[in-house]
Amino acid sequence: MKLTEDIAKNLMRRANLPVPDGAPAETAAQAGELAAGYGGTVALKALLPTGRRGKSGLVRLVEASEAQAVSSEMFGQQTEHGPVERVYVERGAQIEEEFYLAFSFADRMPMLTISTAGGVEIEQVHSTTPERIVTIAIDPLKGLRPWEAIDLWSRAGLSGRPLADVGRLTARLWRAFVDLDAEMMEINPLALDKNGRLSMVGTMIEIDDGALGRHPELPDAPSQQPDNPRERMVNEANRANPGGDARYVELDGDIGLLVAGGGAGLLQHDMIVDLGGRPANHSDISPAPGTVKTEAVLDAVFTNPRARSLLIGYNHLQMAPVDKVVEALANAVRHNKVDTSRFPIILRLFGPREAEARALAAEIGGVTYLPPGTSLLEGARAIVEATRKVTAEKEEGAAT
Amino acid sequence: MSILIDKSTRVVVQGITGNQGRYDTRLALDYGVNIVAGVTPGRGGEEVEGVPVFDTVAAAVAGTDANAAVLYVPVNGVCDAVTEAAEAGIGVILATTENVPRHDAVRAVAAARQADAWLVGFNTNGVISPGKCKIGGIGGDNPDALYPAGRIGVVSRSGGMSAEISMALNAAGHGVSTAVSMGGDRTTGRSMFEYLELFEADDETDAMVIYGEPGTGNEAEVAAALRANRLRKPVVALVAGRFQENHPKGVSFGHVAAMIGDDADSASAKIRLLKESGAEIASSLEEIGKALDRRLG
Repeated sequence: MKLTEDIAKNLMRRANLPVPDGAPAETAAQAGELAAGYGGTVALKALLPTGRRGKSGLVRLVEASEAQAVSSEMFGQQTEHGPVERVYVERGAQIEEEFYLAFSFADRMPMLTISTAGGVEIEQVHSTTPERIVTIAIDPLKGLRPWEAIDLWSRAGLSGRPLADVGRLTARLWRAFVDLDAEMMEINPLALDKNGRLSMVGTMIEIDDGALGRHPELPDAPSQQPDNPRERMVNEANRANPGGDARYVELDGDIGLLVAGGGAGLLQHDMIVDLGGRPANHSDISPAPGTVKTEAVLDAVFTNPRARSLLIGYNHLQMAPVDKVVEALANAVRHNKVDTSRFPIILRLFGPREAEARALAAEIGGVTYLPPGTSLLEGARAIVEATRKVTAEKEEGAAT
Repeated sequence: MSILIDKSTRVVVQGITGNQGRYDTRLALDYGVNIVAGVTPGRGGEEVEGVPVFDTVAAAVAGTDANAAVLYVPVNGVCDAVTEAAEAGIGVILATTENVPRHDAVRAVAAARQADAWLVGFNTNGVISPGKCKIGGIGGDNPDALYPAGRIGVVSRSGGMSAEISMALNAAGHGVSTAVSMGGDRTTGRSMFEYLELFEADDETDAMVIYGEPGTGNEAEVAAALRANRLRKPVVALVAGRFQENHPKGVSFGHVAAMIGDDADSASAKIRLLKESGAEIASSLEEIGKALDRRLG
């Protein structure tokens, strides 16, 4: 979860880290009042869960007296993350030098990236002066100690009093990175004023979604609910039944997919696309017992107006019983009143309790349960052909 | 031989008194695995399926000479459980839990490495050396049918796909020396290449099959090793997830790790790189057998 700047900076402030004074405003008048309180130059920043706002006019430096007028232009502005509803008003920093630092993860190690060329996007520094960027892996058992951070900044070109201060601050930020279960933390710019004081002017934090459960101090994700009602429904089923989340992402094709086990789902999707089919969604679900989440994905497929067919394609299950999946299908077919003669349903579903699953599928009627040993590719071909047939019939029907 | 586990492996099950631990223990015993101990703090002295339960891994090792551990512990206990096993001297640790928080995952990986332990996972259903041993739920209630023995090593980012690959190998007249579900989370104890290095040194393995996905540097590392001639046995690669490249970045479609981000991590980029480096590319399970026959003659 990406935190908006007001939340990120509040967390930093609480950890006694040097953050400029600032507060969020919900109206232009409120922004004007806050700005007047700070006086001088203020920064107005649209509060969106993203960095990289500078170019699109979503960050403005203005005199306090102009804050209300300028922020009124920002409120309501449309962005790829939705309209601007809140603006962060911050006391302008007086900046002599700008540095960059970020904690992130490689596959198996936390990483620290620093540069004395702060204030611009790090990608730009990387493409023009890569020698100004220093990156190290951090041993997570030892953490990052102040003297190690000081050594690193010295290699990056800092010296004197700023070297000591920036190094010590970097080690404290490592603690915050760990304590917050952050996946990414970028301070850009880390600003130095003419009195030698440091200030974290740009602060971006992304929290590890897998660790959100142990951070009650963090707010609920700001409007991260998908717009699509069927995606939302699956999310709600996940929230009501914690553990082993189902994923459902809608696409613009016509083949509904209930595929599971991560890998087999990806492979079947590739195969369908290679055969000229167009999935209406992708899904992933851990093949654990319980039918609620399976049913939620099936409900989503059956109520998606673009879906014309359904492939239930699991990898050969090794632990979970397959009849639970068919039980969910029977329920979903019944309460969505699916006409299986016009909406082809194909199952490639092998594993424990398969005989029971086949008997149950036969009761639903009109469902194709592929014979044992059918490959993933044959399953993909079967659904592509069946879908082609119903869409052709439908077009014929429309023509006559 | 085989890699990681064989007839001499002595398994301790951490979390043996839970449902999954108990169930997998029963199936493993039926397969002939030496499950010598279980661990659940506070339940020392009990028995599960005839297996003695200890309060700590160190006590289990002292009492039974266990040398491999399987973990069925909730997500917030994984880092401690791995560290406990590693420090008790366990050589192979299998962590089944998925979506382990990043900070916990890297700490557990580092703790295992520091103790010279081999951590498999996170998000794995196990490792099987057919006819000799298995750790984890891999093979389910019918390991003999899903994993016939043979001379091909399998390393898969997905547990389900390791079974599909094994069945495809069987259909093509091959079998498995060891099959590893290395873990589907982004952070895994060991990289794909490290498993291939073990197979390279194993005189009962003639060739290796890998299954990869978008995200992570695993496949690029394998490609680099192939170019540097550090892997001389044939490597057949199946990489899924090309379809994701038709959709916006940042959407997660499968495993947590299989998220579109960097172009270099896409399925197509991995396939290209592996192919240029000398791996055989299979675009379906059926092609794996053909690719092996091309290289093994």
